[in-house]
Amino acid sequence: MAKALNDTLSVKRSIKHFDFSEPYWEGTRQKKLVLQRCKVTKKYQHFPRPVSIFTGRKRDIEWSEVSGKGQVYSYTVTERGPPAFRGQEPYALVCVTLDVGVNFVANIVHCTVEELKVGMKVKPYWHTLDDGTHLFMFQPDKDAK
Amino acid sequence: MSLRDHAIVAYAETKVMEKSDRDVFVLIGEMLESLLDSTGVEKHEIDGLVVAGMTGTGAGNIFWPQTIADVLGLQVGFCEQVNIGGCSAAGCVVRAAAAIESGLCEIAFLSFSDTHVLEDKTDHSHTYRREWTDPYGLMGPPGAFGLLSRAYEAKYGLDYRMLGKLAVTQRDHAIMNEHACEKLRVPITIDDYLNSRMIADPIRLLDCVMRTDGGSGLLMMSRKKAKEKGLTKNIIPIGYAELTNYLGGDNLVDVTKSGHSICGEKALKQAGLGIKDIKSFHPYDDFIIAIMLQMEAFGFCKAGQGIPYVREMNFAYNGDLPLNTGGGQISAGQAAGSSENLVEAIRQLRREAGERQIKDTTNALVTGIGWINYARNWGSSAALVLVPE
Repeated sequence: MAKALNDTLSVKRSIKHFDFSEPYWEGTRQKKLVLQRCKVTKKYQHFPRPVSIFTGRKRDIEWSEVSGKGQVYSYTVTERGPPAFRGQEPYALVCVTLDVGVNFVANIVHCTVEELKVGMKVKPYWHTLDDGTHLFMFQPDKDAK
Repeated sequence: MSLRDHAIVAYAETKVMEKSDRDVFVLIGEMLESLLDSTGVEKHEIDGLVVAGMTGTGAGNIFWPQTIADVLGLQVGFCEQVNIGGCSAAGCVVRAAAAIESGLCEIAFLSFSDTHVLEDKTDHSHTYRREWTDPYGLMGPPGAFGLLSRAYEAKYGLDYRMLGKLAVTQRDHAIMNEHACEKLRVPITIDDYLNSRMIADPIRLLDCVMRTDGGSGLLMMSRKKAKEKGLTKNIIPIGYAELTNYLGGDNLVDVTKSGHSICGEKALKQAGLGIKDIKSFHPYDDFIIAIMLQMEAFGFCKAGQGIPYVREMNFAYNGDLPLNTGGGQISAGQAAGSSENLVEAIRQLRREAGERQIKDTTNALVTGIGWINYARNWGSSAALVLVPE
């Protein structure tokens, strides 16, 4: 029998945003993944920064919606979580390389330990938070080629 | 003048404690007293204070180094806190040398004491963590090293028994180190390592450093001044480099690579040595796999060849390449502001390591690892090459 992973959805999350991240969080209200892109190099960056990490300039930042699909670069199964996550173990964190070329660390849901593999295709899972934003997570993308 | 015109003339350290039985200021005072007694330097001659910023107890105080100067009654022309995480102790050595060279001070007290178990004021809230890892329950450094280990395993494969071999070697050294934390001075086997409970799979309990309390300190001055004072058991820094935020301007980074690949080469070049010339290795060890990654980054072996390299080598104090002969932080306890492996290297080069004394003390390589950044390797890397006078 496949070993279940907890989805951690029952954890109470209250996230304090940096002001320069607000466009990201606004996007999540409509379940849209909106990331920063550099106008000059056309490269994406994550997490949000106050400047382009490629040019060092604030004015070179633009925001762009992306699919949120990608493949697992790495993962770890947490057996001893921080206080807010005690009792949720085991739960997984994945580091996913999104199609647009950035790594995104998040939980994965609807997944067993046996399914979890480096290279597996994943797609977004949106978890609703109390403030109307959504927390971006991953789930296996079983339809992916 | 250059880096190698400066000398570490004395070291001091406390026993590593599970939890300190005295205030951090008492530990710092004991280090000062010991350094003054062992060198004959008078307190009023100390005109430089360089403090490792990796302190949980001092973290809430933006006036931490001044507070220490005040507590000790030191009047100094150079008062510095070095904040590069686990690179801070090695970073303090080169900054003290630079301050002496530029005439800001002549004799510097380097202070590394910390009591982060007794009193921890560390605050990570104004970092990426609050939005990008805390909401997902990523368990700090073990979580980050779990991700790092799995990525390494997917790329190169990992024989965890060989990581266990490194853990056992360090533990054997801690058992010979009377200053190591007493709780850790019990033998372990590779099976004990493999069977220790998972924290952030594949990171096990025996991969992880244990937070402990303790102190250490160094006294530095120019070699010329050391000679004038008749101090003879001096240790000379001959190469140093550090790198913070390796590939920070890239959006995707291979986590199996680190800044050590760059600063290792730079420090060795300054020292005039090749990696094969290094006689003992004292890498910063927050997690066992970090030791192996540094072996690859410094060029002891090729990238991806860490496991076969560990398999063929003997890293005991009397082996092919002595490794963290005091037990490292993982088996002696993480205390004293990232200085433990540095102090052990100095002790070895002075030939004061007792039953675990390294035979060839021509040189030693000490490293630092500082901070964890998002979806990357680690935030700061440092390399320091030391030789006896």
